[in-house]
Amino acid sequence: MQLIIKDLNKTYSNGVQALKDISLTINQGMFGLLGPNGAGKSSLMRTISTLQEADSGSIMLGDINVLTQKEEVRKTLGYLPQEFGVYPKIDAVTLLNHLAVLKGITDKKERKAVVEALLHKTNLWAAREKNLGGYSGGMKQRFGIAQALLANPKLIIVDEPTAGLDPAERNRFLNLLSELGENTIVILSTHIVEDVKELCTDMAIINKGQVLYKGSPLDAIAEVEGKVWKKRITKAELEEYRKNFNIISERLIAGRPEISVLSDQSPDASFERVAADLEDVYFTHIFGSQQTAVNS
Amino acid sequence: MLKEIFRFELSYRKNRAANYIYFGIVFLMSFAIVASPLVSVGGAIGQIKPNSPFVISGLTMALSYVLMMIASAIMGVAIVRDFDHNTEAILFSTPMKKIDYLLGRFGGSFIVLILIFSGIWMGLMTGYSLGKVVPWETDWKEKEMLPFHAWHFFQPFLFYTVSNLFIMGSLFFMSGALGRKTIVIYTQGIVLLVLSSLADTFLGNLESKEMAALLDPFGSRTFDFITQYWTPSEKNTLLVPLEGVMLYNRLIWMGVAVAALIGTYYGFSFNVVRNSLIKRKAVPVKGIVQPDAVVIPAVKQVINLNTHIRQFIQLSVFYFKMVIKEIPFLAIVIVGMLFLFLSATQLNQLYGTNSYPTTYSVIELLGGFTLFFLIIAIFYSGELVWKEREVKFNLINDAMPMPSFIGLVSKFTGLIIIYVLLILVLIFCGIIIQVSYGYFKFELALYFRSLYTGTLAFLALYTLLAIFIQVLVNNKFLGFALCIVFFILRSVLGQLGLEHNLWRFASGGLGTFSDMNAYGHYVTPFNWYQLYWFAFSIILFSVAVVFSVRGSEAVMNMRWKAGKLRLNRAMVIFMITTFSVFIFAGAYIYYNTTVLNTFTKSDDQEDQQEEYEKTLKKYEFIAQPKITEANLKVDIYPYDRNFTAEGYFWLKNKTNSPIQDIHIQNSPDDNITIGYLKFDREATIKEKHEDFNYFVYELAQPLAAGDSVKMSFKTSFLTKGFQQGGGNSSIVFNGTFFNNQFFPSLGYNENFELGDDDERKKRKMKPKERMLERNDPRGLQQSLFGDDADHIRFEMVVSTAGDQIAIAPGYLQKEWKEGDRKFFHYKMDAPMCNFYSIVSARYAVKRDKWNEVNLEIYYHPGHEYNLDKMMQGMKDALTYYTNNFSPYQYRQARIMEFPRYSSFAQSFANTIPFSEGIGFIAKVDDPEKDIDYVYYVTAHEMAHQWWGHQVMEAGVKGNAMLSESMSQYAALMVLKHKFAPEMMERYLKYELDRYLRGRAFERKKEQPLELVEGQGYIHYQKASLIFYALQDYIGEDSVNAAFRRYNKEWRFKDAPYPTSADLLKHIKKATPDSLQYLIHDMFETITLFENKTDSVSSRELAKDKFEVTLKVSSEKLRADSTGTETNLPLNDWIDIGIYTKTKASKDSLVYLKKHKITKKENTFKIMVKDKPRKAGIDPMHKLIDRHSDDNTKIVVSKK
Repeated sequence: MQLIIKDLNKTYSNGVQALKDISLTINQGMFGLLGPNGAGKSSLMRTISTLQEADSGSIMLGDINVLTQKEEVRKTLGYLPQEFGVYPKIDAVTLLNHLAVLKGITDKKERKAVVEALLHKTNLWAAREKNLGGYSGGMKQRFGIAQALLANPKLIIVDEPTAGLDPAERNRFLNLLSELGENTIVILSTHIVEDVKELCTDMAIINKGQVLYKGSPLDAIAEVEGKVWKKRITKAELEEYRKNFNIISERLIAGRPEISVLSDQSPDASFERVAADLEDVYFTHIFGSQQTAVNS
Repeated sequence: MLKEIFRFELSYRKNRAANYIYFGIVFLMSFAIVASPLVSVGGAIGQIKPNSPFVISGLTMALSYVLMMIASAIMGVAIVRDFDHNTEAILFSTPMKKIDYLLGRFGGSFIVLILIFSGIWMGLMTGYSLGKVVPWETDWKEKEMLPFHAWHFFQPFLFYTVSNLFIMGSLFFMSGALGRKTIVIYTQGIVLLVLSSLADTFLGNLESKEMAALLDPFGSRTFDFITQYWTPSEKNTLLVPLEGVMLYNRLIWMGVAVAALIGTYYGFSFNVVRNSLIKRKAVPVKGIVQPDAVVIPAVKQVINLNTHIRQFIQLSVFYFKMVIKEIPFLAIVIVGMLFLFLSATQLNQLYGTNSYPTTYSVIELLGGFTLFFLIIAIFYSGELVWKEREVKFNLINDAMPMPSFIGLVSKFTGLIIIYVLLILVLIFCGIIIQVSYGYFKFELALYFRSLYTGTLAFLALYTLLAIFIQVLVNNKFLGFALCIVFFILRSVLGQLGLEHNLWRFASGGLGTFSDMNAYGHYVTPFNWYQLYWFAFSIILFSVAVVFSVRGSEAVMNMRWKAGKLRLNRAMVIFMITTFSVFIFAGAYIYYNTTVLNTFTKSDDQEDQQEEYEKTLKKYEFIAQPKITEANLKVDIYPYDRNFTAEGYFWLKNKTNSPIQDIHIQNSPDDNITIGYLKFDREATIKEKHEDFNYFVYELAQPLAAGDSVKMSFKTSFLTKGFQQGGGNSSIVFNGTFFNNQFFPSLGYNENFELGDDDERKKRKMKPKERMLERNDPRGLQQSLFGDDADHIRFEMVVSTAGDQIAIAPGYLQKEWKEGDRKFFHYKMDAPMCNFYSIVSARYAVKRDKWNEVNLEIYYHPGHEYNLDKMMQGMKDALTYYTNNFSPYQYRQARIMEFPRYSSFAQSFANTIPFSEGIGFIAKVDDPEKDIDYVYYVTAHEMAHQWWGHQVMEAGVKGNAMLSESMSQYAALMVLKHKFAPEMMERYLKYELDRYLRGRAFERKKEQPLELVEGQGYIHYQKASLIFYALQDYIGEDSVNAAFRRYNKEWRFKDAPYPTSADLLKHIKKATPDSLQYLIHDMFETITLFENKTDSVSSRELAKDKFEVTLKVSSEKLRADSTGTETNLPLNDWIDIGIYTKTKASKDSLVYLKKHKITKKENTFKIMVKDKPRKAGIDPMHKLIDRHSDDNTKIVVSKK
């Protein structure tokens, strides 16, 4: 099964164009959607999750037309929105069980088993009888993950799932996603490059509603391999460097800026060539080059 | 800092569109209410001018009350806003002071609130000035306006609206700041509303009126209380001053408001997280499994119809549980219950006396919960529609595999489960109320039949509507506001010309329940209307399903794009089917109400009345023969609601010249068809006015003076289908009661004319005189029963269904059965008046005898409670009237119960139909305290056998003084000899209150008693007071003697008939010279007193010797017909009374004597033997006094 997105466009009523001719083909396995805040990741994911209309274009999930056969999509969908809340006066078991019924898990025993397994899996077992209103951000996020995995979804869409998780939880969650098996499409949006690097076989980088890159993370890294140069400078020099070099990222290390520059040759001797990283790819696409959207 | 916060608040509000919308609403409502026919809601009727200060104040108060929701929106959110937008953490960590924050926010919001509500006076002023140019109110130019007076607009606004805004604003501000949730604010609003409606309940009760006026948080009952006795002329000139009860009320609530603000200051904390009041124990954790070791089991996902049913049930129960866990919900329910129990302390009160808590009265009482039901319906429809989006769970929920309609349908169902359970709770409350009254006849079936049909259907309809509104406008608050606007619109549809019930949402209620007739014929239309409105609401609901927001799209065209996909085959077929049902039910109702029956809009009705008067008024006094005999056979078919009447009248020419044309006015009732009408000699129809059912027959041979003609006719009353508004309630399954108005009558009937002067003015017709002048010779020729007859011979055979008894005036000659029908032959052996009733029902009979007179009560089995009282009432009345007036003219007296569609009793010759609602279920607990109105009404109706039947009076001004007032007096005397004086005092206090309120609502002109023109508050209430005082002044025997002489002079006479002057002649004769002034004060003019005790002190001179010093003041006033008063010099005898306390700690008079009062301020020194407790002037309220509470004062002891 493939998810094929073609020429998807969406402009909000306030005039913001959230999606510009997005075309992507997503295979089974983990697919990473990388982009800064406001890039259109959530809009795209909501559209795939049947929760938003598109102005034009098409989305096909196998034979299902996602934009019109919403019911069919929802049967196989597990969705974790970027920002969500819960009914405050209900505990986790009750709500998860409730959602399991809505998901069509009609067998009571099965329902119980899957609810318990998910609560264990998301490490919420101890807090399962606590009202959700009292959950911390991380706990709530884990609850969101649990509900997305109810009823063995074939299409899992998780929007910024690792936001708010501590490193241990994040690891556990990423492991969980990777366990979900080969015959599932998992779309993971994030602005954390690490997430994608560790998990995804395929990815796309989008910004301002446009796809800037699509392919495998390894290919992406290969593209910039040997072209990333780093140098530690002083703050005073920063302006100067910005003018003269194609800086793709700047960061502070122990209070002093370190800049990365994309260049086929060594910009000058003071730069040191470093092994390319997915992050460099990301910054390259977002800030570094004047590259426009890749055409499909 | 304070200034900045204040300024910030103002500028923040300045940019919010909502505030301008609110102002727009306030302004437009105020404008529309004035510049439309609705101005009458402010009381602008009759003599009260549309822009009188009373109307302006009333409107200002009513508007600020109705629009209080806006105050909650403005003041409540002043603080909650920060919590809703999650800005509290940022704000509270800044170095501002709590007092600055709170005061700044409060002040800023309050100013905005006042500005918004200024829309009231601006709207009213604009309305009054543009009223004459608006195109829809063409009769504005006809309206008489008072000159513009700005203070009349500002005074009520400044004194009452602004104070109300401050009070409500502070409370809303507090609940918002301390509750930190919007819902807490709404709940509080509801509690205030309840307080105010409680005040309303108790305002009806005479004894607690003032308390209610003090406690109403909105002050509008206070306004009602203060103005309750204002005459039209006062309403046209006075503003309610900020003093007395009004001042105290405002001070109390301002105090509450200030306390609320102080409480807010101390209770408000800048901490973002509050300590929970209840600390939960940590649950010990066990059975933790390493997450990695867990394998998520594979599950079977089944999505089919069964799953959808499961989902539906799951969600319905889920939403149901969600609502019942809400604290505000519980608060509303508890407050509602409290309201019920409090109201239950005054069940169906009449004169302060309760009724038995029969199941239907308790169901009516439970109807008081409807308001709370509606609040729940509208409020929680909104809450549930918005629930997921509010807690931001919507995206997860919306991605669940279920059809879109399930969400809304289960929200609806969740609410329905709540209603079903709440109704069960209500029934339980009802039973508790019944038990608490010691009443154990619980009719559970009736509870279920009433509440689970009418009430539940009503709630379901409004819930569907509210969900529709919420979904379509997609803004919760606007949704609530629209629901309220919808209510207002619905209530004024009639005035907008949409009178048919097909326009009025959720119309066609179950009607009045009667123990006798159950829901009777109301059931069929009820079912059809429910079908119609449910189909309608389900269509709306389906539209809501299509447009409901699923996912993140909120823009209408996107919702339509998503919604189109939901319009699958099944949905479209469903909608078309529902629409067909809607059309079909509507057509069926239309066919019944306007094709089978006639539906007349009130305008058309008035057109017809106008036309009738214009065409036929010329015949009003044309010479006609009089009916001298009625001999009829009436067949009643109660279960078809039909009857036929066939027989003849003898008409006699009592004039001195021959009569050629006979004018026949048939009943205008739609159901009446005339089978034939013929004379025993040749006659042709000369004029036909089919529209008015008016025919002029020309006799071939004129009817010579003194000659008679026999007129035979057959008329049928046929019920076809059902009518708008429930149809006739006279001919019903069980409890038929009608009179001869359905039979042909002679000549023009001025009762059919338009009576409302405002309406007549619009049509450029002269104001209608209510009655003929007292000396009008044409009036003297006709009795109060009309000009068709003097006395008649009467005979009637009535037949009815086999299980019923039918009764008409006269004595039963014979009774027999034919097939499944019963026949009764009645004949009166002496001439009687031309006014007779026919009743038929499944009766039980109680019989007794008084001397040779047979007494019978025909009652509904189960209504035995007060039969003994009625029987005793008949006997005592017969005894008193026979001894003091004249012998009883019949050998029989009968009381017949009829259904409570009307609440009166009426006297016909030897028969008294008596409503189920006004005595049969009265509960007189304490004969010392409760006014026994059953006994009283019986005595009053018995008295009519003398005053009305023995002596018929002329149909001119003052006539009711000779029937109603004399009967009031007679009954009062029976009462006086039976009960303690304290009860008489209590009764008269009710009469005084009702008289004073009655005159406040006089539409034309208040008449003195001797010229009363059909004004109940005068010929009943004022007459009670006056005749009671008269017998106190001149003696009971003297009054009785006058009555006796009057009776002797006029008894059983045909025309000419007596007038009030003829009675007054005898009363004057019986009055000593020194008191002749009373006749002028009481009967010939409107005279009022302001008696007041300023101080009372006493000194114990010796043992058992007390000197009481009273300082009293008196004023005597004369009012004209509009209520304008002028002072009169005093020269009156007025009671001075002193009370002591008996051992049973009751007040007992130790001194009561009339003193001549000749000046305003008077001091009396009076010696008494017992220790005085209270004393005063006119302590028993014999004189008409608008402030009767200040007549006595507690005695202060002095050394």
